[in-house]
Amino acid sequence: MIGIAIPLPAQLLFWAPIAAILFGFFVMRPLKPEWTHWPILLSCAVVTVSSFWLAARVLGLYGIPGGSFDKDVLHWASAGKWSVDFGLRVDGPGAAVLAMVSLVGSLIHVYAAAYMKGDAGFSRFFLVFHLFFLAMIGLLTANNYVQLYLFWELVGVASYLLIGFWFHKESARKAALKAFMVNRVGDFGFMLALFFILNTFNISHFNVIYAKLALAQQQGGIPALLPVIGALLIWAACAKSAQFPLYFWLPDAMEGPTPTSALMHAATMVTAGVFLLVRSWPLISAVPALPPVVAGIGAFTAIFAAVIAATKKDLKRILAYSTVSHLGIMMLALGLGQVALAVFHLVVHGFFKAVLFLCAGNVGHAIHQPTANVDEVGGWRKALPWTYISFLIAALALAGVYPFGGFFSKDAILDAAWEHGGLIKYASLLISLGSAFYIFRMLFLTFHGDRPEQKGLKAHPHEAGAAFVVPVFLLALGAALVGLAAPLVQELVIAGWRGLPTSLANVSGVLNLAGSPLIPALTWKSQFGLSGAMAALGVGLAYYLTMVDAGWDWRWRRSHPALEALFDSDFYWKTFVGWLSGRVVAFARFCGRVLDKRWWDGAIEGSAHVSGSVSEILAGYSAGRLNDYLWWMAAGAALLLSGVLR
Amino acid sequence: MSELTFLWVLPLAGAAACLAAGAFGRRAAKVCALVFAAAFFVAALAALMPFIATHGVGLDAVGGAPLAFGVSYLLAADGLSLALILLTAFLNLICVISAWESDVSAAYWANFLALASALTGVFLARDLFLFYVFWEATLIPMFFIIGLWGSANRRHAAVKFFLFTFAGSVFMLLALIALVVAKHGQTGVWTWDLASLRGAPLGAAGPWIFLGLLLGFGVKIPVVPFHTWLPDAHTEAPAAGSVMLAGVMLKMGLYGLIRIALPLFPVYAQTWAPALAGLAALNAVYGALCAMAQTDLKRLVAYSSIAHLGFCLLGILSGAAQGVVGGGLQMINHGITTGALFLMVGFLYERAHKRGLADFGELANTAPWLSFFFGFSIFASIGLPGLNGFVGEFMCLSGISRSPIPMLDVPFFAVAGVVGVTLAAAYALPAYQAVFWAPKREGSVSGLVFDLNFREKAVLWALCGLMLWIGLAPAGWLALLEPSLRGLIQ
Repeated sequence: MIGIAIPLPAQLLFWAPIAAILFGFFVMRPLKPEWTHWPILLSCAVVTVSSFWLAARVLGLYGIPGGSFDKDVLHWASAGKWSVDFGLRVDGPGAAVLAMVSLVGSLIHVYAAAYMKGDAGFSRFFLVFHLFFLAMIGLLTANNYVQLYLFWELVGVASYLLIGFWFHKESARKAALKAFMVNRVGDFGFMLALFFILNTFNISHFNVIYAKLALAQQQGGIPALLPVIGALLIWAACAKSAQFPLYFWLPDAMEGPTPTSALMHAATMVTAGVFLLVRSWPLISAVPALPPVVAGIGAFTAIFAAVIAATKKDLKRILAYSTVSHLGIMMLALGLGQVALAVFHLVVHGFFKAVLFLCAGNVGHAIHQPTANVDEVGGWRKALPWTYISFLIAALALAGVYPFGGFFSKDAILDAAWEHGGLIKYASLLISLGSAFYIFRMLFLTFHGDRPEQKGLKAHPHEAGAAFVVPVFLLALGAALVGLAAPLVQELVIAGWRGLPTSLANVSGVLNLAGSPLIPALTWKSQFGLSGAMAALGVGLAYYLTMVDAGWDWRWRRSHPALEALFDSDFYWKTFVGWLSGRVVAFARFCGRVLDKRWWDGAIEGSAHVSGSVSEILAGYSAGRLNDYLWWMAAGAALLLSGVLR
Repeated sequence: MSELTFLWVLPLAGAAACLAAGAFGRRAAKVCALVFAAAFFVAALAALMPFIATHGVGLDAVGGAPLAFGVSYLLAADGLSLALILLTAFLNLICVISAWESDVSAAYWANFLALASALTGVFLARDLFLFYVFWEATLIPMFFIIGLWGSANRRHAAVKFFLFTFAGSVFMLLALIALVVAKHGQTGVWTWDLASLRGAPLGAAGPWIFLGLLLGFGVKIPVVPFHTWLPDAHTEAPAAGSVMLAGVMLKMGLYGLIRIALPLFPVYAQTWAPALAGLAALNAVYGALCAMAQTDLKRLVAYSSIAHLGFCLLGILSGAAQGVVGGGLQMINHGITTGALFLMVGFLYERAHKRGLADFGELANTAPWLSFFFGFSIFASIGLPGLNGFVGEFMCLSGISRSPIPMLDVPFFAVAGVVGVTLAAAYALPAYQAVFWAPKREGSVSGLVFDLNFREKAVLWALCGLMLWIGLAPAGWLALLEPSLRGLIQ
């Protein structure tokens, strides 16, 4: 089983970034740091081509044979019967997300080469940035939970280093620490889940676990620990994919350079949690109580974050809450059993969110800041035409306006929620309305009109050059057209979702995993009735409150400071979390400084009069005589010993 | 002279040679130390090689007729012993190289080589009297290393270290004597041979003997609440002393547990396991909490050692294969990672004579290599997958989560362990940020910290390379250790 040949493109997914990072670190960084990006951009190209080749292979396009595969490569660790092997799994959901991640990620790399030019840490940035990319590729192609956890953590470390990239800023240091700590709290769940998975299934490989689970279900039962495993995995996903109650690290994570935010929000980090749940869906859906929990968390987070996004002033912060909201939508889709739809929205979101962040980067760049407030900008439509067009396309895609990308994914999810009924039905309406409102509020405040509160027209913004515009525009084209890829994504998910042959003798043939690999067709209700109307309503509302009643945003803040404080603290959730972490630190201080040092160690030293007698002994004995003292001690021990023995 | 005798005599001869070479000046002593440290490392590697080929199966042994009172010169080596001896030799060589430019007398180098010799003896001895002699012999050179070449509060720390661990070993000695006497009462034969002491009912004395051994080993590990000597000793010792102390000497306690206490008393090893595992879990969580409260970088690393050894202990007690073998590997991992961290704190201290978190700042700009290696080691220490710490922690906790021992299989221990893993980031990363990222404060000594030179970088590349190697491909290391640990696997 070990050492079976792996297709070259799958090997290149790893060798190219590893070689680029090593070459960059050992050759470019010392010799020509401002060229560090060249080997890395080359690696991006290789990875992108390989990813698409693999996606085509899974689909069987262009006569490429082979399809999905799942092979072990490396015997990692074992003891007794306990064993963990590492391998590669390229299947439908993996290949679909991989194609998006490599394409969007590579374009962001190109943008970053221009954006970061001249920064003192240019080469450090590119090396860690590419490590981030590599970690995500590893995560998507892992064939077992332990390996997935390895790259999951590597993603966390790379994000830590990137969020804290400008470490001279206190806010960046705090944000980096917060991101890593919250993710560690989530990893608490993942690590425990790993133990329980290994204990339950004796293996962590997806294909074997799926098969064993299918077998157990056929025999009418599920392992006793499965509900716990499922809940722990959901907890882990809530941290990485920024869901309530662990979402709060993500808005602060915009402290990193803008390309980092774009990569993190679109491609490499936050999607990992959703992907983990896609991989785990056969486990989670086997416990009837868990999918509604996922749907509930998703729907709540989607509305909660959309409301807060509508009240923020910082451009990148608005987008960060928007990401939280959209990840909630993906979780909602999963909770409803729509696996293919969740994957599809993940892909579509990657395109439009990358565009939005890079546009925010361009706007900030125009006033020489890493980010901008809506107070500082305004009416820049003509000054930044390409940025404006790109932003508009992405905003339409986000709001779910036909025929842009989001329409096919987001609206299909909300349609499925509508069909599901219950509270979720109304939640879907609110999400639709909220998304359209916050993104068009941002659009109007940044690019349209002119308000007395804004200083925007006093600056003389202009586009920063082709390198800042071309990748963004290409991504925007992607955001516009990616909706057409729905059948392909569906095919991919079907191809992978029906399982791969396992090595288990008693489970033969094809597995039908829980969760729908089909993207539901949009009904007329969704197309023209609900989502269209809600999006129009949201855009209209945004237009009225920014363009017609131009001072509204500033007015309510002035007149209702308590309300602004409420939104600012995320309905006091951040206040509570701050208090809680403060208690933990205070408890640690008590343990370390009072309990351990003063009380316990103090009691020991005091009772034995160690310190007193020690100094007396030492005062009398020079170093040479101490030697004698010790040897006498040893001799005494020997004498004692011989006495006892006799 | 047999190969095993050669292993512990070689560094001792080196110590004598260093003292003799001291007559020709400090440089001669230094060169002599380097030669012997390198030779010792090569010898340890050569001794290990046959075991790698056979995946740790097989046992080299040196036997001898009893000398008196059943004491005999018995040495034996298996994968665990040789791995720990290799760790000793490796860290010893690293210590010599890293202290190369410090102006110290011949006695300094002699003490390090003598320490390496005694440690090697501990890991080889299969006669309990011999074991005890080597065990106590480690104290003497370490006492001098702390007391003579340590920092400001060195004398207090040296005596505290000595009294604590000596008190612990008195209990151990009493337990060993009681064991031998009890055995004599049953069989009429005086013997200190570990193998022939096994497997006999000891009656009412049994629990007391086990307790005595636990106290002796527990102080060394150290198990909370017997740990308070450790932060003082590690903090005041010179950098190389801390490396040996944390890297190898703490492992003596675990080694004693693995080699002597648990195999001799398999029944108590099971019935007492929940209480011991409770203390180990306390180590992992309490050590991490205390580390969070530290303002001195070296004390922080010292407390992190307490936390890490809690993981090892949990794994070793678990009785599950992955836990026991993972615990064995984690002993070596901790030696490498914490060794690297203490070394780097030492580099900081050499340059600036400060260790406080608030004394530095912005070093990432002025000392990028130090910052890189420190970050690398910190992430290995907090268990980033792909580096060595993760393998050990993960296997230990996986073992305790599925322990075959009654009352150890409750999720409590695994949960406590994972809490410890989570807290590790909460002490390590703020410390890293304070030293390397945060702006300099009033009175910062960062200006004195120049970046690593070639020699220092080479040493750290070796350590970090090992961290990566074990992290990515631990299978060979685990295979080396597993046969020696099979006795503890239920």
